[in-house]
Order: sequence, then structure tokens, then C-alpha cells
Amino acid sequence: MKYELVSGFETHIELSTKTKIFCGCTTQFGGEPNTHCCPVCIGLPGTLPVLNREVVRFAIRAGLAVHGKIAEIAKMDRKNYCYPDLAKAYQISQLYAPLIIGGHIELSNGRKIRLHHIHIEEDAGKLIHRHGDTYVDYNRGGVPLIEIVSEPDIRSIDEAKEYVERLQQVMRWVGISDCKMQEGSMRCDVNISVRPQGTEAFGTRTEIKNMNSIANIARAMEYEYDRQVDLIESGGKVIQETLRFDDATGTTSSMRSKEDAHDYRYFRDPDLVTINIPREEVDELRAQMPELPADKLERYTEEYQIPEKDAALLTKYRRISEYFDEAIEGVKSPKTVSNFIIGQIFRRVETESDKEVFNVATSPQQLNELVKLLDSGKIRNNLAKSTLEKMLDSGKKATDFISESDMGGVDENTLLALCKAAVEGNLKAVEDYKNGKQKAIKALVGNVMKNSRGKADAMAAEAKIKKLIEEM
Amino acid sequence: MVTREDVENIALLSKLFVPENELDSLTASMQEIIDFADAINNAPSSEDGFDNINNLSNVFREDEVVPSYPVSEILKNAPEQAEDHFLVRNRE
Amino acid sequence: MGYIAKIHNMLAQKEISCAELTKEYLNRIESDNAALKAYVCVTADEALKTAEAVDKKIAAGEEIGLLEGVPMSLKDNMSTKGISTTCCSKILTGYKPIYDATVWELLKAQNAVMLGKTNMDEFAMGSSCETSYYGGAANPFNTNHVSGGSSGGAASAVSGNLAAYSLGSDTGGSIRQPASFCGVVGLKPTYGAVSRYGLIAYASSLDQIGPVAKTVEDAAIVFDAISKPDKRDSTCLGAKGGDTFSQLGNDIKGMKIGIAREYLDGVRDDVKEAVLAASEVYKSLGAEIVYFDLPVIKYALPVYYIIACAEASSNLGRYDGIRYGYKTEHYNGTHDMICRTRSEGFGEEVKRRILLGTYVLSAGYYDAYYKKATDLRGTIIRAFNDAFASCDVILAPTVPMTAFEKGHAVSDPIETYLTDICTVPVNIAGLPGVSVPCGFNSKGMPIGMQLIGRSFGEAQILNAAYHYQQAAPENFKDTKWGVKL
Repeated sequence: MKYELVSGFETHIELSTKTKIFCGCTTQFGGEPNTHCCPVCIGLPGTLPVLNREVVRFAIRAGLAVHGKIAEIAKMDRKNYCYPDLAKAYQISQLYAPLIIGGHIELSNGRKIRLHHIHIEEDAGKLIHRHGDTYVDYNRGGVPLIEIVSEPDIRSIDEAKEYVERLQQVMRWVGISDCKMQEGSMRCDVNISVRPQGTEAFGTRTEIKNMNSIANIARAMEYEYDRQVDLIESGGKVIQETLRFDDATGTTSSMRSKEDAHDYRYFRDPDLVTINIPREEVDELRAQMPELPADKLERYTEEYQIPEKDAALLTKYRRISEYFDEAIEGVKSPKTVSNFIIGQIFRRVETESDKEVFNVATSPQQLNELVKLLDSGKIRNNLAKSTLEKMLDSGKKATDFISESDMGGVDENTLLALCKAAVEGNLKAVEDYKNGKQKAIKALVGNVMKNSRGKADAMAAEAKIKKLIEEM
Repeated sequence: MVTREDVENIALLSKLFVPENELDSLTASMQEIIDFADAINNAPSSEDGFDNINNLSNVFREDEVVPSYPVSEILKNAPEQAEDHFLVRNRE
Repeated sequence: MGYIAKIHNMLAQKEISCAELTKEYLNRIESDNAALKAYVCVTADEALKTAEAVDKKIAAGEEIGLLEGVPMSLKDNMSTKGISTTCCSKILTGYKPIYDATVWELLKAQNAVMLGKTNMDEFAMGSSCETSYYGGAANPFNTNHVSGGSSGGAASAVSGNLAAYSLGSDTGGSIRQPASFCGVVGLKPTYGAVSRYGLIAYASSLDQIGPVAKTVEDAAIVFDAISKPDKRDSTCLGAKGGDTFSQLGNDIKGMKIGIAREYLDGVRDDVKEAVLAASEVYKSLGAEIVYFDLPVIKYALPVYYIIACAEASSNLGRYDGIRYGYKTEHYNGTHDMICRTRSEGFGEEVKRRILLGTYVLSAGYYDAYYKKATDLRGTIIRAFNDAFASCDVILAPTVPMTAFEKGHAVSDPIETYLTDICTVPVNIAGLPGVSVPCGFNSKGMPIGMQLIGRSFGEAQILNAAYHYQQAAPENFKDTKWGVKL
């Protein structure tokens, strides 16, 4: 029997606000242990949380980026569980009234992965286990998170990978997080079950906790899919449980122990008041939203006829698309700009992180000027290409490398002289042309181009040559 | 009805040990308090709702960094510490 | 004149130096605290240091504030930087906060002279002060009797003249009940009038800090000083009714004083008589007495215990032996360490309430208990709002009885819970309530009455209390203890 994979994701993303969610400590990654701490974030008795306004605004931006509904009223709840990395023995989170309801992420195959909701909460500290001893560092404790909870709409490992990539792309795009999985600023809990192909009812699911790379997500899902299928095929039953993934062996194992009876006893946090989100504020934030990658992709392919593959590269990071948008200002063919970026500039920003920053010596305005020279016929494509390389090396503008004499190719008189020379020196070709061999004209134009070192306008040369032959 | 298992479960959730020989008496005592609390279920159902005292909303702080405390202060009350961390040493 | 004003005048007119006054209090604490157990920590050095600073100001001819140099104390659940703060629990043994509670910051800025931290029921859970890890405070009127609780040490210290005033906290009656038992004035402010920042939480939606004092004027002065908005407490707005001290003495002719019949149910005869006698005093002062029914308050006690314990079970989860306080000696792994620390560090009553709170929040019981209780909270708030449509102030007993003998409370938890029956409705509804001495029983133990006001109506209830104090000064009797001014 064939089995279909069914998966839903709970994705935690650390927000890049300046300060923690309930106190003024910095959210900076790293730092010496326990140096980004204060009485509030180490949960000293008597301390109280005060909500960072920016966290709410960041979460609303996240919600708008995935087409979610922004709640009018949201509340904070306590999720109670005792663990050394959680200073208060409860995490302030949202259950009963989250900030964002619904939303979706659209995949390249056209499927929409629906989101259940997005809520805000605080991160926990970090535990280091050494020789059986436990060291606790609360620097990360209280860093703001959003948790994006999807519906179980994912049907393959490829979809899962793309879902995570899309989330990462759009959340970076709207500037709410750097989404660095290796630094833990984006982490996924993967729910997974299988069911016989063609059936409706969901199978029993397991949850793989805290996945921190897309590669591992794929490995873990693959392993877990096979494990569940094998189990069912051999007459066993999947038990609903929480699993951890072992990077070294590529296997999953149960996290369950007698010590954690999980009943989070959520209740409204009495230390925090209701969050009321006026529609004007949502409208204001919506107006400030950048054009989203999916919309840009559509615009690039439909308006500019850029191939989808190229458009996807241009919209992978916001800085690239902004560079592109600035560089195409007033040019005849945005596709030419796209080719320069993908063909030449990309060779200089090879890594993904370089692409994300997209720090290029040539400004989009400089590229724009170069393309406009090309558009106006003042320079040829080969010259433009070689000039761009020099620009990228030096940060200088195009006209620093192209002299006045290079431009406009050749003046009218010189062009006429060159054409005359071509006609007079290639009478055989002239004869052929006269005898109806249209192609022969190309040889004559080629001669002009060669003698002008590629600077002449080929169209103008062809017209002139035809005229000269007629006048002969 | 509060059972021994209920009490064992809530003790585990509360991270409290209940000695085996006290389980029965604690179960009985919990039952007594729960019976007392059950009085509320005789109350008419309420539609007044409760959000928070004084119905407050939108109390925020601005996203401005306030200097953190020195690590020596943060760890001042720690029963055990090492290398600027809180420490749980596992001795046995 | 209140004690604070009296001390202020003595200091300002140089009848006594602040250092002398402070030493006098410290000496009395040294001799009387063994019997009263009002203090669990005495901060003599800090007190004398502040006193010297005040004396310097006076010597330099500078004007001093009303609370400046006045010896006082704080309940041991208010965080004081560098000074032991234990909630009278073993689990906070040795804990010295690294920050100050807002109330202490406010008073410290006025050069209040803190003599020490006062005794209390462990984590403010109790009605007799006897759940204190250090043993309960005694009642200055009869040391065989309890001080009441949980702010028993505060009431005992003020009644025993071991502090001019004290700050207590009130979650279900913890200021008013001991004030009633010890024959002093205790104000539980409107929820949100005083910052909770630095107050070690018992039940966050019910806790409120307030003054315990010998006179209504003193309570008003202290309330005015601490009722400020606080950016660190999202629920704190500060006082809204203006300065209360200056409103004392405003005319109360025509004031409608309501008595809810349910408040008199099950109340001992001597207490009931004293409260009704007080209503006669009010009549003679020109107020109007109106009787009404408030049937929902019969659910107040279970609602209170469900909400308070639920919040407590969450608030007290953090005591795990890792960051502060007590840690067990022998254990096997982190989980075992946490469980042992908590089992050894918390007393029986605290454990009982944590377990109850965990139960009412746990899967399958949340709706029947916690959710239902918060819904009823809404109903109780509405009922009070309706009541205040027909009266200005509600008069009720503070406690259905007078201070009981030591050892009586610990035996039966439910019976002990019943002593809170008249005080908890105010916490549930977030209203202000003040307990005022209104007589003595046949054995000479004080009886207290409670004046309950509208939200942020502290000025009105304190004014009503003030008029009663002026009309019946015989009920504000001094004890044999402490500093005599």
C-alpha cells in the first residue's frame, strides 16, 4: 500500500526587536553568560512583566506578511511548566486570544499551506550539560518569539522544505527576524503522520521537537515517515508522542519521561492587561509593508517577461529585488538588468548570506546608467558587459570607463567613410547582394563593425551601405 | 471525586513529593476543600464576564534598551554557581 | 492628631532627634519582640544611618517631609535591596533582593526610617500568622492570642508601638483582618492604586499593598505617599481620587452607608453588636443607613480560594533552588533536586494551596473551577456596582470574630478559611476597604469594622472612618507595649 505523509509545523521565530519582550535587556545574540539579564528576566520574586510595544507591531507585520487576520483583542496567558531554563516556571504566551488568526503560505506548486494562528511569547534561557552538571544562562530568556502554527496541510518533504524556506524568506523580507536556523532564531517542531493514499482520516501523529536546519527537517521527516509506515505495515500502532532527532544517527527517539507530565494549565496572566489593536494601527502598518516576494515575482514575470526561474532569484532576498527595482527605473528592457544581475553581479555575491546583504560596489543607479547607455545604442552589449566588470571592481560609474569617442559609436562622417571603404573593398559581396543574396549585406556590416572595433551602430551602418549600393 | 491518582498527578505537576503514607490523608483533605469549592457550581451561570480589574488595555513599554545588571548581581543569590552560570551540580 | 504628624512635629521642633527616636524604637523592639514576634528581621544599622541623614537636614534648617524620619516597617514580602526578604518561608532562606520594591523606593526617597521586616503567614497564606516559618506574631492585647494574618507582624508592630506605621499586603483580608484583631487601622487600597512591583506575589490579581496604622490620618498619609502610577506594574494606575489626607473631615451629612444583610450572617454576636452600634454613630453624625441584599457574596469565599490558589500555584513555581533561596542538600538529578527543595522548603499550608491551585487549573477541571470562578468574579463585581448605585459606602464586620487563641487556626483549614468571609469580596471586586477599631469584646479583645468604597474611592472611606474615629475615640485604645509618645 502507498502511504501519504501529512505534516503540520510549529515554527518559532525570534523577533529582532532591540529589547526583550518584558524588560529592557538587549536581545543581542551571544554575549557573556548571564550578562543580558535583570531581575525581570531571571524571574526574581516580585518582578512584573511590561509588554514591549514593538513586539506587538512586529507580530502584526508577520501576520500581514502571511495574509492573516489581525485580532482586535489579544491577551497574554501563562503556560505553566517547570524546567531550569524557564526562570518563572511559566512561559508568558498566548492561547485563548492570539494576535493573528489564520493566514497562509503559498507554495510554488500552487498549494496553500493554511496557518492556524500566530502568537507572541517569550523564549527560555539556555542549558549546558557538562559531566552531568547543568549550567544555566538566561541571556536568551525573555527574547520575544512568534510561534507560527500551521494546519496539517503539508503532504511531502519537498513541500515541508519549501514551506520553511518561504516562511524564512517572507519573515526576513518584512524585517522582523534574521531567521538564522543555525543560531536558533528560527526553530521548527514538526508534526507528522501517515495515512493510506486516498483516505481522509488522519493517522496518529508524532511531534519532532526543535529542528534547527532544513536538511535535518528533511532527514527527520524521511526517517519518521518510514518508521511510521513500517510500524503500521507490521501491524503496530503509532503512539502520539514527542520525539527528538539525533543528528549523528539520523534517527528519532522518544523524549517522554516520567518527570514531565504535560499539562500546561494555561490561564490568563494577571500581570498583563488586554491588548487592543485599533484598525487604524493595522492600516498604518499595512501601508508601511514592503511589496511581498510573491507579488514581486508575479510582477517580474508578467510585466517584465522575466523567466520565472530568474524572477525567483531576484525575489529571494528583499535587498536584491530592491536593487533590481531601482536599477530598472526608466530602462527599455528590465530583462537586460536581470541578466546583468544574475549573470555578472551574482558571481561576486556567492554565499546566501552575501546575497541577503547584497552589498555590491556598483549602485543600482550606476547599473541603471549603464543600461541606459546600452538602450540608447550609444554602446554595444559586449562593451557594457566588460564595463560592468570594471565598475564592480572599482565602484566607479560607467562613464569613467567609456570615453566620449567610445560612445555613439562613430560619428556620421566616420560611419560614412567606413561604409564606403567596406563597399569599395568588397565588391564581390556587393555583387552578390545586388543579385538578391540578402545575406551578403551582413558581411559588409560586419566589416564596418570590425573596423570600428564594435562601436558602430549596426542598423545605421546597414542602412548606409544599402543606400551606397543603390547609388552605385 | 478526588482520587489518589489525581493527587499524585497534581503533586508531580506541582513538583512536590507526597510521601506514600500521606497520600490518603491528603486526598481526603483535598476532597474536603474541593467539596467546599464546589459551592460555586450552585451559582447561577454568569454572563457578566471578567477581563481584568479596571478593564485596562494597551499598557506597553517602548523598545528602548535599559542596561542589564552585572553578572555578579544576577548570580548573587544563587545557591550554586560556576563560570558565570547558575549551576545544578549532580552529586549523587 | 495622628502619630505621623505628632512625630513629624517633634522632629521638626527638635524635641527629639531622629537618631534618639530611632534608638528608642530599636530598644523597644529588642525588649518586646521576643514576646510579640512582630519582626523577623531588624535593620538597625540602615535605620540609624537614615536617622542621621534626617538629623543633618534638620540641623541644617532644611524642611522635612511628613514621613521623613518616621520609624516604620515593611512586611517581609516586599523586596528590599540587600536586606533579607523571605516571605517567612524556609524556601527563601538567605534571599537578599538585588532591587527595591516600588513602595519602598517611594518611602526610602522620603527618608522613611525602616526598622525591619515584619512577620507574616508564609507567602501570605493564612489568617493567623502562624504559618510563618519563624512562628506567628502575638496579639499585643493578649499575647496568647494570634495577631491575625497574614500581615500579623505589621499589625502587631503597630499595635505594640514597635513602628509608627507599617506596610502590609492584602490578598483576601491580610491587612484588614490582623488590623481588626490588633485594634488598629488597616487599608486595603483599590486594586491598581499601589504598585505591586517588588511585592512577592501570592495571587497577582488580588494582591495589594496598603498601610497598617494607629489612626485614620496616618493611614491616609501613607496611602497618599505610596499610591503612585508605576511603569513597572502594568496594572498600576495610582490613586485617582486625589490626596486623601486633605479630604479627611469633609462633611458626611447625607452620606448613604449601606449594610448588606449577608455580611452579618454567621457573625458572632459581640461583633455584630459593635458594627450595628457603629451604624448608630453614623446616624448621629447625619449619615443615612440603608440595608440591602448582596446574595452573590456567598460564593465569594470559594471563588476567592479557587482564583488565589490557581494564581499561587503558578507564582510559586519559580522556587526551584536554582536562582535564589533554599536548596536541598541531597538529591539525584535536577528534577529530584527541584522536588526535594520545594517539598522541604514550603510549609504545609503553602503546599496545600499549590496543590489545590494546580488541581483547579488542570485539564478537565479548568472549566468547572477556574473558569467558573472568574465568571462569578464578573458577577460579584456587577453586584457591588449595583449596590453602589444606592449607597456611598458599605459598612460590614471585618472578621466574624475576634482574635482567637494561638494554635486554634492550624487544626482545620476550612474553618480557618471561613474567617476570611467578610474580607475576600473586596479583593475579588478590586475595591478599597478599610478596617477600623469599633469596640472590644468581653475579654478586651478588639473588634473591627470594615468600610468598603467604590473603585478608587479611598478618600470617601477614609473620611467616613475618620469621622467615626473622632466620634468614638475610646475604641482606638493603646496597648501597654512599645514607645509612648
